[in-house]
Amino acid sequence: MSALRIMRYSFLSGATDYLAIYTWRSWLGGWYLRVLSQVIFFALIGKLLRAEEQTWFLLVGNAVMLAAMESIFALNLVSWERDSGTLQLLAASPSSPVVVFASRGSYLIVDGLVSSLGALFVAGPLFHLPLPWPRILLVVPLTLLVGASAYCFGTFLAGLLIRSRGLNNLVVNVGIVVFMTLCGVNLPLAAYPRPVAFVTQFLPLTHGLVAIRSVLAGDLGAVLPQAGLEATVGLGPTVCSTRRCARAPLPGRPPSDVDGPGQIGADGYRSVTAVTA
Amino acid sequence: MWAGVRLQLVFYRQYPDSFLPLLTAPLYTVIFLMIVRHGGPADLSSYAVIAPVFIALWWFALFHGGLVVQTDRWSQTLELHVAAPTSFAAVVFGRILTVTLVGLVSFVEIWLVGRYLLDAPVKVRHPWLLTATLVATAFAMAATALLMSGLFVLARNAFAWTNSISFPCYVLGGILVPVALLPGWLQPVSKVVFLSWSADLLRASLAVESVPDAAFRIGMILLLAAASFAVAAGLLRRVLWRVRHSGELGLR
Repeated sequence: MSALRIMRYSFLSGATDYLAIYTWRSWLGGWYLRVLSQVIFFALIGKLLRAEEQTWFLLVGNAVMLAAMESIFALNLVSWERDSGTLQLLAASPSSPVVVFASRGSYLIVDGLVSSLGALFVAGPLFHLPLPWPRILLVVPLTLLVGASAYCFGTFLAGLLIRSRGLNNLVVNVGIVVFMTLCGVNLPLAAYPRPVAFVTQFLPLTHGLVAIRSVLAGDLGAVLPQAGLEATVGLGPTVCSTRRCARAPLPGRPPSDVDGPGQIGADGYRSVTAVTA
Repeated sequence: MWAGVRLQLVFYRQYPDSFLPLLTAPLYTVIFLMIVRHGGPADLSSYAVIAPVFIALWWFALFHGGLVVQTDRWSQTLELHVAAPTSFAAVVFGRILTVTLVGLVSFVEIWLVGRYLLDAPVKVRHPWLLTATLVATAFAMAATALLMSGLFVLARNAFAWTNSISFPCYVLGGILVPVALLPGWLQPVSKVVFLSWSADLLRASLAVESVPDAAFRIGMILLLAAASFAVAAGLLRRVLWRVRHSGELGLR
């Protein structure tokens, strides 16, 4: 089976799983309401501070953060497969696990993109955020880039944590809040201490968010370099994942390694996608 | 209920990642403090320190409390639990109450991080009011979690809803930004969200000014909690009766 076909089927099966959880109605009344409220929650802090610029800064940062947040859920992919008993089957298949895992959760990028843009374009007008036409359209591919970059990071971490079953949920949730803290979501990067600002250069979201803020500010010259950096940050983990899997492919490992200790049904607890906030 | 408390403590020993909010709460404190400090001269540190307490408590009560039934389902003990002669609601409430009380530890942690690590100028001016508000809030959280538990019995994918109601409730409850800043048409809705009474009182307990109508406001938290509890107990009874009669308990 060609890689493209595997990717197509993997994406479709992942999307079908997601559609079993949400219908478009429950998505709008449940998940979308949540992400919209999340953006409004942070934008209101700017209102509390009576600072319009800060309101907009918080609104844009937290709207774009949603794309990264959903993509980081990819870290749970291995747990989800393990819980549904499909991990061994995927590991035993002749195709590359990187291709399968990378595609199976890619619906998260699409969902993150829709959530992020949906929140930005609804909360934005509520807080009188200028959305300059037509350059605002650039925000769409840039948000997609942020989601893809964070997704690569998430799948890379998922590979690292494949044997540490109990850590996944912890790393996802702490990771999301760390991104919110460090990547310029709520504060300009210049406000961070220099060593912290340096570290953030290597995290997904940071450069993509700067690029989106540049689009809104009309500084189009900064967009391409920042987008390039975001793509580079995303590509790094992907290359590492591919090499790691090439060195130690899953099918070569004993099943107990893949499945990990404690089966569902035996220990009665499975990892779940929940966000601490 | 005591059996539920003991069971939940055993659960915590087996799954230390349940204490996740104790890791994220200090980070939220950092985020909120950074925002209000960057925002200008007005000192809103107390606002920034109070909000993460609610976020942590919400997680403990709603996710873990609400998940009590779901974990029973996953471990295939739900049917046995329902068939037991003891009250299902009492055991579930015992577990949820344990979760919520453990969640109160986050207040101490956030306080220490905010006050001593991040040097936020916050001081408890009305300690009795603070204590009473925290106790009433914990009860209200537990009652809300019990309500969620009923929904978990009824619907398999109710978990997705738990994920979804956090931020709408944070906004309506004014846990960081007071309800007064919300649009006028939303403010009456906030009055029936116990978080709005709790958040106002917790912030007031850190302010120098005296707190008017404190007893009435605590009474409102308790009243809303009691209403939630009554609805939750009724819902659990009704849901259990329904699934017992239809034989669908394990299938839902």
